[in-house]
This record gives sequence, structure tokens and C-alpha cells, in this order.
Amino acid sequence: MASRRCLGALTRHLRARLFSTSALENPQTLSLRFLGVTIPQRTSSDLDICRRAFRCSISIRFGGVRRCSSRPTNPSDKEEDEDDESEVEEEYEEGGESSDGENGDVRASKCVVQRGKSDEEKVEEAAEIGYKVIGPLDSSENPFKPYEPFFAVVQIGSHQFKVSNGDSIFTERLKYCEVNDKLILNRVLMLGSRSQTVVGRPIVLDSAVHAVVEEHTLDATVIIFKKKRRKNYRRTKGHRQELTKLRITDIQGIDKSENIVAVA
Amino acid sequence: NWEELDSRSAAVGKGTMNKDKIFKLAKGFRGRAKNCIRIARERVEKALQYSYRDRRNKKRDMRSLWIERINAGARLHGVSCFLCVFQVNYGNFMHGLMKENIQLNRKVLSELSMYEPYSFKALVDISSNAFPGNKGPKKDSSSMVA
Repeated sequence: MASRRCLGALTRHLRARLFSTSALENPQTLSLRFLGVTIPQRTSSDLDICRRAFRCSISIRFGGVRRCSSRPTNPSDKEEDEDDESEVEEEYEEGGESSDGENGDVRASKCVVQRGKSDEEKVEEAAEIGYKVIGPLDSSENPFKPYEPFFAVVQIGSHQFKVSNGDSIFTERLKYCEVNDKLILNRVLMLGSRSQTVVGRPIVLDSAVHAVVEEHTLDATVIIFKKKRRKNYRRTKGHRQELTKLRITDIQGIDKSENIVAVA
Repeated sequence: NWEELDSRSAAVGKGTMNKDKIFKLAKGFRGRAKNCIRIARERVEKALQYSYRDRRNKKRDMRSLWIERINAGARLHGVSCFLCVFQVNYGNFMHGLMKENIQLNRKVLSELSMYEPYSFKALVDISSNAFPGNKGPKKDSSSMVA
């Protein structure tokens, strides 16, 4: 059954080869290069077809028929997706796959993990889970303003911080962002100023807190020492937690004009 | 030379590598525990064990501290606005917040109660409106009468 699907994919691939312009030389290069060599940019449709054909060719060669049966579901979903997919990582996937060759289950877990890390879409989703959106890198402008008397309560991961303009906070190491990246923290639970308090249930809509990644550091060493007395058992271990230092630059979503309102 | 070799970490002996580290960890200890290696070693081991245990205890302690502070803030702001038998305390305050689906955690709430009294008072008002709503209409009528 799976072999039939592979054959169907192969015929589709051949048809695509006839019609597409740039795909003439690429599938040949694919079949030759197994291990993640860089290949020039193509559109995603070509990539999917070539990917499927490549996988089928592997399955026929190594006899890992199980792989082929489970695969086509994923690319069929992704055919309509965005064009910009990082291809070098895709090819590394193929390389990892081909190098194993035997167990379908092992390859399943490996491929799921690598695919999750490589796609830009997944990266953005992971950033959403950590309640931050990566903006563009810092240009030559200076985003740091003097202190303004407004605060916001922001949640990153599972930690909440009461921040204000110019604060620096230490969070767990945020993946997918480099130093000097601008972040937008979109999970804002509360905003406050001299005259107003905006409480979200649970988050305040249309509000954002801008931050800049200052550094990716390690925490101070913590010595983990375990001892059982009179039992000759003693263990020493050191641990440094990975942190990210963020500097808060801007709070948006609260009225910043100086309203002199009698507060109840 | 032999003494220098001993004190340097290049020497093979069991305790020589650790001695400096132990004295470094034993800074501020009482009496001979900061100066004499035999005593310092015991005390440092005990100190490291305590720190392992207390890293877990710290989380508990901090949480109870935050709850104390929120309790204090809620009672302070609750009494001033409602002069009724049923007053605001920590339990009612948190229940009202949970009802309103406000997901501020205790750490942040304690910081607000310390440094942002007006915002905290707003939260207390929200919570008391949400949860003990039975004294609402009575209070209005009495204020109107007054």
C-alpha cells in the first residue's frame, strides 16, 4: 500500500519535472547528495514534491516502507503553506533519515523533533508560548527613553514581572532570539499609571511591552551537595542556570497624558 | 618547595585541592570553623546541605510572605471602603480575583500592595464587587440616605 503511494508520488514528481522550470536539475542533485549539502532556493511546491520523491527513493532502497506511509500526510498539509522554508535544515532531515535506515519508530521521533525546530512557523509558535514576539533586530536608533511613571505586569512563560520603563529583568533563557533583538511581550496582565489602572481578564488587549535582549548569560554557580551521614555517600555537583536579561524600553496600551483625576 | 607543592592544586593529596575551596565557602563562619580545616570541612558540608534544602524551602517561604502582604493590603483597603461585618480578607480577595479571571500571581500582587497602593485598591474593589455582592445594594441605599 505504501509502495503504491510512493509510486504515485513518483509519477507526480515526473509530471512536475516536465512542467516546472527549475526542477530539472534539482531532483538529480537530490538523489545524489544524501547528507545535507546546501541546495539553491526553490519554491515550496517543488520542495514538497522533491521531498516526497526523495523519501520514496530512500524507502525503496532501504526497505523502510513504514516511513513512506506516515510521511505524505504532513507535506500534503504543508503544500499550501508559506514559501520561505529554510531548506538547508530540511535537507539535514533527509540526511538524518537516510543515515539511520532501519527503525521506523526511531526515525519518527528524530524527524518530529528536527522538523519542530527547523520550521520558521514553529519558531514563531514557540515564541507565542513564551509570550513574546520577535521584532526586527536593533537598528542604529536608540530605543531607550528616560523613565516614565507607568508600570505593566507582564507574563513570560510562567513567571510574572512588574516592569516599568528602563527596568531590566532576568528570565529563563529565551530561544529564538539573539542579543540586541527587539521583543514584544504581548501577554500583559495589568497596566498602571498615576491616574489609571487597566486590569486585564486575564490579559489586556491591544497592549504591548517592548523589550530588548541585553544578554544571554548563565546564573551564578549553585553547588548541589547531597550527603547521607554515616553511609559513606556524598555527591557534589555544580549548576548554572541559563538566563536572558531583558531591558524594558516601552509600555504601550495606557494613556500617557497627565490626567489629574481624583482617584477614589 | 615541598610546602609550596602541597598548597598548590598540582599536588595529588586528597585534601589539598579542596582546602582553598572549603575556606572560601567557610567565610563568615563562627570561631574556628573558618580557620581550621577539620572543623571547617564539617561545617561547610552542613552548610551545603542546608542550602540544598533551603533552596526548596525558599519557594515556600516567599509564597507565605507574599500571602501575608496581600492579606495586609486587602484588609487595609477593604475596611476603609466597606464598613460592614463581612470584610475583605485574603481569602475573599483571592476568591474575587479568581472569579473575575484575573491571573496575577501572588508575587506580583504583593509588589502591587507595597508599591502601588491605588492600583491595589482598584483590585480590592473589583474583587469585592465580584465576590461578596450581597452587601452592595445595602451599602448604596445607606450612602444615598446619608
